[in-house]
Amino acid sequence: MIFLEFRALSTLPERVEEPPQEEPKEVPQRRGPKSTNPILEHRHIYPEFLPDPNPKWRNSLREKMERADMLKRRQQIDIPEFYVGSILAVTIADPHAQGKTNKFVGICIERKGCGLRAEFTLRNVVDHQGLEVRYDLYDPTIDKIQVLRLEKRLDDKLFYLRDALPEYSTFPLDMDPEILPEGTPVPVNPLKVKLKPKPWLERWERQELKGIANIEQYLTTTNRLNRKLRQTPWEKFDLMKQYRKTIPMEEQSDIWSEVNNQLQQLQMARKKMARKRTFTAPKTQLG
Amino acid sequence: MNQADVSKLVSKLRIKVKAEHRNLRNPKGPEGRIDKLRKTVTGLIKFERIEVNYNRGDEARQYAERLISEAIRHGDCHTPTMKMADFWLLEKELVHKLFKVLVPRFENSNVSFTKMYKAPKPQYSRNLEKAVLELRGNPYPDLFTKQPNNRLWIQNVLLEAAKHDYRQSKYAEIAQNMAKNEEPTQVNSEAPKSEIIEDIKTQ
Repeated sequence: MIFLEFRALSTLPERVEEPPQEEPKEVPQRRGPKSTNPILEHRHIYPEFLPDPNPKWRNSLREKMERADMLKRRQQIDIPEFYVGSILAVTIADPHAQGKTNKFVGICIERKGCGLRAEFTLRNVVDHQGLEVRYDLYDPTIDKIQVLRLEKRLDDKLFYLRDALPEYSTFPLDMDPEILPEGTPVPVNPLKVKLKPKPWLERWERQELKGIANIEQYLTTTNRLNRKLRQTPWEKFDLMKQYRKTIPMEEQSDIWSEVNNQLQQLQMARKKMARKRTFTAPKTQLG
Repeated sequence: MNQADVSKLVSKLRIKVKAEHRNLRNPKGPEGRIDKLRKTVTGLIKFERIEVNYNRGDEARQYAERLISEAIRHGDCHTPTMKMADFWLLEKELVHKLFKVLVPRFENSNVSFTKMYKAPKPQYSRNLEKAVLELRGNPYPDLFTKQPNNRLWIQNVLLEAAKHDYRQSKYAEIAQNMAKNEEPTQVNSEAPKSEIIEDIKTQ
């Protein structure tokens, strides 16, 4: 083998050296958004794991301990994925009757707070009376959180349901859960609600809400003028305002890589439970 | 207690950001503040080194950093980023500069895209802090020389001269002391010679 390489006296014509082929120049790729880390997608499902964006209230040690506590709580009860606009049923231990529970069904109109202080508000109309109950997400007295209908609405906060017709926030207390097929994206409900006539609790016309159908019919010319005067079209270009409201990507990826393992284990456990549930015998319906 | 906004992902800035923004005082309020900052950001991208009041410079610096980091993250085929660049850069040829010059320049950098120095201010004036704001990698000479021990610096020249003077005076002192020390030994051995030396001194 070695001799084959040294053919100094060979009569065979040597192969003509080909001019070195120009290597295809690396075409600069179109700069798209950099490939984002898939674990960053947790931020939509578990927004309370991210700390408060206000640096005055940051404390890395407390945040870390809270995250550990939240994961511990999540191992005790199943806290499902839900969004503002989803319909939930919450069972909570009754503080006045030992060993008994209360169940409330309603639409989630707000999610706020971070860490162990995360909370959500459910709204329903029972016996023509609007009811809102605020729950702490990690409250140890909560027995069960069940998502009856998983969907989003057009807005981030649904406080305008308070001034809308009661039919938009009325949900039967014995609603059956609707099961979405696995892997489908969370549906957005494009429902636009109709408001009751004034007086209202807030000036809804100034808030650029997408989920209200009939707001124009109640507005006076003064309302319209004031709305125009109060518009802040520059705010969507205020880069630092956006920056101060969020947690930067680098910090987020640190947090998510810290909790990713346990969150995935919890998700696996939930899937197993869901599969078990599908094989249970259907309820006999009376009547 | 606020929940972090998760609708947008932003890259972390490599500069210090204050917890609250500064209201740059002006008759038009928040809109006027943004207008002021637009002018400064445009100037910074255009001239690459500007002198501004410290507060306004620091605010504009944050916006410029955010604009460049958005441009790096999304590139020029992303409509919202393009709109943002269009809003912040008042001269439209600077949009091309942002995406074609600054993005390649800063794409692989690990440090901030801008630098800010405190600038000297006139002695008798309103107490407005001045600052120099510049983009990194600009074509101008450095404000601070990288060689700290340049011999031709006026401070170093003066220090050298002072050292020289001090050394000379020390040598003279030592020479004097040596002469004095020699006196007593010479007095014991040869009296006439010391007299001669004293004569020379007196002369």
